[in-house]
Amino acid sequence: MLDVDRLEVAYGDAVAIRDVSLVVRERELVTVVGPNGAGKTTLINGLAGLLPTRSGTLRLDGIDLRALPPHHFCRHGIALVPEGRRLFGAMTVEENLEMGCYAAAPRAHRAASLERVYALFPMLRERRRHRAGSLSGGQQQMVAIGRALMARPRLLLLDEPSLGLAPAIADHVFEVVAAIHADGVAVLLVEQNVAQALAIAARAYVLEQGLIVAEGAAAELAQDARIREAYLGRQ
Amino acid sequence: MTRRRTAAALGFVAGGALLALLPALRLPAFYETFLYLVFFWVALATSWNLISGYAGYFSFGHAAFFGTGVYTTATLTSKYSVPFLATLPLAGLVAALIGAGIGVVVFRVRGVRGELFALLTLAITFVLATIVLNTPIDGGPGVFLAAVPVPPWLGSPHATLYLLSVVVALGSVAVAYGVQSSRWGTGLFAIHDDEDVGEVLGVPTYRYKILAFATSSFIAGVVGGIYALFVTYVTVPDVFSIGLAVDAIMMAALGGTRYWFGPALGAAIVSGLTQTLTGGQSAILNRVLIGAILIVVIVFLPDGVAGGLARWRRRRGEAAAPVAVTAVASPARQRPAVDTTLLRCADVRKAFRGLQALSGVTLDARAGEILGLIGPNGSGKSTLINVISGYYRADGGRITFDGREITTVEGHRIAGLGLSRTYQIPRSCRRLTVLDNVALSAMFGAPGLGREAARREARRWLAFAGLETKAAALPAQLNLHERKFLDLARALAAEPRLILLDEVLSGLTPAQMAGALALVRRIRDDGTTVVFVEHIMSAVIDLADRVVVLASGQVLAEGRPRDVMRDPTVIRAYLGRAYA
Amino acid sequence: MPSLNLLGQALLAGLFTGGLYALLGLGLSLTWGLLRLINLVNFALAFLGAYLTYQIATTLRLDPFVTLVIVVPAFFAFGVVLQLGFLRFGIHELTSLIVTFGLTVILESLIQWIWTADFRRLETPYARSTLKLGSLFVSVSGLMGFVAAAALALSTWAWLRWSYVGKAVRASAEDGAMAAAFGVDRRRVALLLSGLSAAYAAVAGLFIAMTHTLAPTQIYAWMGVVFAAVIIGRLGNALGLFTAAIAIAASEALTMAVTSPGWAPLVSFTLLIFVLLLRPEL
Repeated sequence: MLDVDRLEVAYGDAVAIRDVSLVVRERELVTVVGPNGAGKTTLINGLAGLLPTRSGTLRLDGIDLRALPPHHFCRHGIALVPEGRRLFGAMTVEENLEMGCYAAAPRAHRAASLERVYALFPMLRERRRHRAGSLSGGQQQMVAIGRALMARPRLLLLDEPSLGLAPAIADHVFEVVAAIHADGVAVLLVEQNVAQALAIAARAYVLEQGLIVAEGAAAELAQDARIREAYLGRQ
Repeated sequence: MTRRRTAAALGFVAGGALLALLPALRLPAFYETFLYLVFFWVALATSWNLISGYAGYFSFGHAAFFGTGVYTTATLTSKYSVPFLATLPLAGLVAALIGAGIGVVVFRVRGVRGELFALLTLAITFVLATIVLNTPIDGGPGVFLAAVPVPPWLGSPHATLYLLSVVVALGSVAVAYGVQSSRWGTGLFAIHDDEDVGEVLGVPTYRYKILAFATSSFIAGVVGGIYALFVTYVTVPDVFSIGLAVDAIMMAALGGTRYWFGPALGAAIVSGLTQTLTGGQSAILNRVLIGAILIVVIVFLPDGVAGGLARWRRRRGEAAAPVAVTAVASPARQRPAVDTTLLRCADVRKAFRGLQALSGVTLDARAGEILGLIGPNGSGKSTLINVISGYYRADGGRITFDGREITTVEGHRIAGLGLSRTYQIPRSCRRLTVLDNVALSAMFGAPGLGREAARREARRWLAFAGLETKAAALPAQLNLHERKFLDLARALAAEPRLILLDEVLSGLTPAQMAGALALVRRIRDDGTTVVFVEHIMSAVIDLADRVVVLASGQVLAEGRPRDVMRDPTVIRAYLGRAYA
Repeated sequence: MPSLNLLGQALLAGLFTGGLYALLGLGLSLTWGLLRLINLVNFALAFLGAYLTYQIATTLRLDPFVTLVIVVPAFFAFGVVLQLGFLRFGIHELTSLIVTFGLTVILESLIQWIWTADFRRLETPYARSTLKLGSLFVSVSGLMGFVAAAALALSTWAWLRWSYVGKAVRASAEDGAMAAAFGVDRRRVALLLSGLSAAYAAVAGLFIAMTHTLAPTQIYAWMGVVFAAVIIGRLGNALGLFTAAIAIAASEALTMAVTSPGWAPLVSFTLLIFVLLLRPEL
């Protein structure tokens, strides 16, 4: 479904992602793990159209995404839950969710999608008219995920959803992601928290300093020494 | 260098003398009037540039100070019979006081930058115009000055006014040159490019801005005083006119706001151009042309004609030498490494709107060591650096540096105490050369050197960082690696006892990284303690003497790198529960 | 101390002037708050609109309101073209201030060339008719301007608050990249806002023509006050602008009635200084 080949993404002057290739198939939950500064956010932003890509190919179901302007990415079923949430803080929770289905196709199902999101996150329904910026970190994460779900995506991109959250809330987030995946949505999860990411993923890639240093089935990779080395250095 | 400068100064004086003697030639009045106008605009544009071009505080209110000067002279001569020449310095003084007064109030407010200052100065013109119009200063009908005596120099009162305009114009250009070559000027340029960084480096931004604004207003006031007697009849709408401000801005922008001669160049060009289009319909075409020039210049030539010239000259003499990090002997340094605690954080706390970023951090940095600060994303490393360097204020706990408590000391004073930092994304002043960027630190930081001495020091630090071939370049011409080293050189030029490095290795290729690591070791060997935040573990293990691990705003572990990396709690923090 | 009647009359005059300030400032507030562009040309455009209204209504003997049919779409198109220029050359913030000042100068010269510096006064039946409210005389054209300002401010606010496009505009202003990630075409949003801003200027021009004598130098006279209203009302806030405009104009009018007419400009400036010093975040 998502086919990335030898992608190069620069962030300003620095080439943060060089020669990255990965694949996400229909209904798969794939995770990309790696230490801080590995380039995970740059990678996801490149895949979502937020950053221009320098070279390589980026295809979704055969469509060349690199040729598209940023605001057309969501038309092909990609939705992003960015690092740090990036909600529209001055707007209400419900307005944030509505912005998720701004594009024509998902907008037709707005009411139904809204119901689904509120069912998934009941506490958002109570706070629907509150300013998004006034919510706690965990609640904001729910809004961010909900916003992406409103777009009825086929591929959900998540960038470090557990960042800055208390462990209990982070657990909840991972449960939610697993549940969304169970519903049939393909997921590309970028995470720093290796254990929990590998626990819910089918396949995984390890990113270190802009390059993929390991890939394979999540269960096998969990035992791989290369992950430890990527995070903690060669012993 | 000095010989060239003496020659230039002599030429300046000679040229000035020639121009001054023009009236003695008894040419038709047209030439005197034309030149008067040229000098009029040279002085106005150059004075405007002092606050707006140099410091970046765009003022639309130059007419207000010009008008103040006009009416000061008008009132003093017509109502109080003060001799004309005596009123000129007073005209400048009143204008300067108003400018300084506004600056004192407005520059204190942090939010007043850019657009806001522009609009405030726009409003000032209207306010002063209103006051003058409604009080006996003018009252409505304007002020007649034909009866005011002007001492005849070189034969006629007209020549006197012309001579005065020559003096003021040349004087303003000299002032502009003097400012640009001084510490004050370098500070103003820093304010223009990145006022926050300037403050952190120790530039007295508040004082410099007020001085620049006052000087600018003074000159405008004097020009106004002369103008009053030149036209002999002044009215409020004629004098407090936005059009005048716009013309001055446009001339300065056309010539190049970064250069002392830029506004003068622009004034000469535009005066020459508009001379060919005078009267009736052409006056309107004149205005259209002026508006069009302004637009074209701002869009295509943001640095003006002078800037274009400078760029052309630079391109011709550009050195394409690659930057190699060579081992150069560093500038002589002081303190030997003694095993004492240099920096201590005790139970430091910091929260942001509900998020507890630091929840009680306690750590030490010992003199002469390289301390690595690591931790997963969101652990609070950057916050800690920002709190230590004074960018944020801690909510609780104590920070002591070199025995002195710095918990509540503001950012711009910390540099002076011997603590420097670099930034994750290098922040240089884009209009200053690489050399001057580094010299800023030596000028306004702890060393507190004069400009020439600071530049010499800067050269040595550039050599230390391997950037000596790029001394005359602008930061935009450097690549990321070089800009990071520039940031580093600048931090070092303040001669810190402790330097905080914020992810100095990110974005570098492995080869560049090796050079950077060597440089950091040399910095420590010369007596500066290093605390660095880093993610690249191999580098941390290689470089650090000791490592502190932060997680969730607290210190999780500390010790030698290899020991810490094997600590189960650390592994768990990075990889999750399953791994420990 | 002037009579209550006089104060009341002054207050009314202030309200109507405030309406004009609001009309002039609406486009400016929107583009500055939501696009981070300072569009000074708005003022010159409003006066161009006023002159066009005058010309079309006088030459073709039309009701001035009818001229809107021609002027509004034309100005909208101008706004779009202007924004295209800004996008093409990457102009924003301070640069936009300078560029639009240049454009203002050019437009002002154009106006002066076509209509000369002579005063022009639009003769309409509205101009002379008044209503009586108790013992107060209410100028009809002034009242219409006030109502138009209130209506436009209210509808703009409502549009931004409740319509999907309005939400997209607000989202785009806060985090353009994220808005684009969910399908908002930032380019189109910018063009729309710029066109709207110019269209508002057209409406402002109509009412200026109906209530004032026109002269090219007038363009600059309103800038200070309107900017003050825009800033005090908070950028991008249509209702805030309206309220601030009314408040400023009313204070000016009362000041004029109590002291002397010449002191009015001080009011807005003083208010502005206070607001800036107390709450400097725009």
